[in-house]
Amino acid sequence: MTSAKRTRESQARTEELKYTLHQLFRNPLVVFGLVLSVFFIVVSIYVTKIMQPTEFANPLGFQPLSIGSLSVDPSIFLNILIYGGLAYLLQRLYDNKWVTIGFLAVVFLILYVPVPRQLWVVNPDGPSNIDFSQKLCWSNGLINWGTPPSACPPGSNYLLGSDDFGRDLFQMILIAIPLDLSIALEIVLIATAFGVFLGAVAAYSGGKVDEILLRITDIFFAFPGLILALVLAAILGRNITTLTIAVLIVWWPTYVRLIRGQILAEKSKNYVEALRSLGLSSRRILFFHVIPNSIYPVLVQSTLDIGGVILTFSALMFLGFSPSPVLPELGNLASSGATYFFLAPWLIFFPGATIVVISLAFNLIGDGIRDVLDPRLRR
Amino acid sequence: MRTIEYVIRRLILMVFVLFGVSLVVFYLTHGVPSAWDPVTAFINPKMSAAQIQAIRVQHGFNQPLYIQYFYWLRDALQGNWGHTGNEALGQPVTYIFSLRFPYTVELAVAATILTVGIGIPLGIVSALKNNKLPDHVSRIVALTGYSTPAYWFGFVLQLVFFYYFAIWGLPNLPSHGALAQTLDGAVPRTTGIPILDGLLGGNLAYAWDAFLHVILPAFTLAFISLGYLARIVRASMLEVLRQDYIILARSKGLRERVVIYRHALRNALIPAATLTGLFLAGLLGGAIITEFIFAWPGVGQLSLVAVFAGDANFVAYYTLVIALIIIVANLVVDVLYVFLDPRIKY
Repeated sequence: MTSAKRTRESQARTEELKYTLHQLFRNPLVVFGLVLSVFFIVVSIYVTKIMQPTEFANPLGFQPLSIGSLSVDPSIFLNILIYGGLAYLLQRLYDNKWVTIGFLAVVFLILYVPVPRQLWVVNPDGPSNIDFSQKLCWSNGLINWGTPPSACPPGSNYLLGSDDFGRDLFQMILIAIPLDLSIALEIVLIATAFGVFLGAVAAYSGGKVDEILLRITDIFFAFPGLILALVLAAILGRNITTLTIAVLIVWWPTYVRLIRGQILAEKSKNYVEALRSLGLSSRRILFFHVIPNSIYPVLVQSTLDIGGVILTFSALMFLGFSPSPVLPELGNLASSGATYFFLAPWLIFFPGATIVVISLAFNLIGDGIRDVLDPRLRR
Repeated sequence: MRTIEYVIRRLILMVFVLFGVSLVVFYLTHGVPSAWDPVTAFINPKMSAAQIQAIRVQHGFNQPLYIQYFYWLRDALQGNWGHTGNEALGQPVTYIFSLRFPYTVELAVAATILTVGIGIPLGIVSALKNNKLPDHVSRIVALTGYSTPAYWFGFVLQLVFFYYFAIWGLPNLPSHGALAQTLDGAVPRTTGIPILDGLLGGNLAYAWDAFLHVILPAFTLAFISLGYLARIVRASMLEVLRQDYIILARSKGLRERVVIYRHALRNALIPAATLTGLFLAGLLGGAIITEFIFAWPGVGQLSLVAVFAGDANFVAYYTLVIALIIIVANLVVDVLYVFLDPRIKY
């Protein structure tokens, strides 16, 4: 009986999802955001594929997650998680194995088939081939540096100009995109998982545990995020892993609060009572019924937070917590632009604009989902 | 009165949270000696190692951490927060903070006024033209706002309104600081807030210059945060517009303007009011990036300097004051809610 009931419930959920997606894709801005974010993800995959693992050119500068002696390569782990999840979703939605297989084939093609050298847009050796003779060859209306303004401003030899190390800014931005995106995804995923777990514990155990967890989140909410991240970054040191941890520490309490509120609201509904009277264990009710029904607002928040995390992380880099001035990271690129601001405005303009577009893409999606899911506005 | 009970309960909780905050702040600023050595505030480069050690012992910096915490807490509760380690060496951090705080207040208030002035109309238009072109435009403005890094937007504004306006020969806006240097000290310091000082001192040129200086940073902050406000106003306006009393008002034959601005807007603005309060509180803590970009002499910029200089005393004081501001603001906003919306009871 339980299994029959579960299929019915999962069917209902699929129907609901179909309806939600239908509503979602009616919004042109969401479609625009989706196209943009898929574009950035594909760019990231492309860059990661052709870059050599050297000091400058390993844009994913962070090490695989290691827990003690166990080490998990985050990219493979994340790939299986993300694309497997999407494939499962497609199967549920269309109930057609060819759609799913086609999707997986395209993903495999993008992820694992090498790009022929002729098609490379990024020069993987570029970042380490710094041409210092081209450094500071800018001149402008107010200040003339007396050097020929040949190569540097955008549009001449370089599409977006060259940076203060004489590197092609366009290539540096392309290299920086996967770093920022993967860090943001990593932070949001871990913070969401952690927050959902603790929030569920708080909501379900109630009493003292709930109170203590809530007070801990209160303590974190009392600090503006950036200040706490700054202080943590100053203490933990300047490398990508510690900066990631600093942002992570700032980020998780939001999700605890969010999922806790959702679960408490969900718990008082009649169907939970019904399930309990059927004799289901409270853990089963929590994990298979209550959490799946209350997870959507958290997913919306996570989508919206990808943009926020990129902003915070790149702000830390911009303010000077970068491990190395040559690191291709969008905030770091913008930071070197700040030094030569009126001389070479493109140095800060293009990396910053890239951050705006990436973050806008995820915000458009998240905002669209929130609109569609808002129970007050639904139907 | 249940509201009073609620407030008392919140106040008691507030003490616990503040205690927790102080533990976190103390651990962050004093617990990791490699990052922030509290002794730096007391030494100068000429001292020998033995002298430094003596100071360390004298101030108890060699004691276990939890004992140091209670020393620190005792001193802090008596108003002795230590001295700064870098700027104006030897000044109490409270004095330095009070010198800089008025600038932050000026910027925060200006930014809040701009945010409310732009964000709320944007949200209303968005709700009234739901899913039509104005809604999409306002959605893009709002979302672009909170997708934009403050440092980038600040620089773009400087580039256009300071640099290019100068090149084109237009009257340009100042890009740095809170006041032109030539006007420094032109009026006596009364509140510390330049615009107010100028008005109180009867020096209109001073006030006008201060006003020009605040435009760009305030607009940077407003652009970034008006998105949240606009989205909240839109959502609550849409919700209110569906309620029965609005249908009743319409069926009475009231004009649409009256229905929207008299009946709907009042209820729809309640969440916006609370959000504005929290937003102002957050800004009073200093908009670090914006203050940094515009060389605004507020506490946010100072805190950034302190973090990089390893000035543990200032960072500790600063973070605790901000935490206090935010906690109190949250309480005030929650209590205000009861007065704004009689349907809510605690």
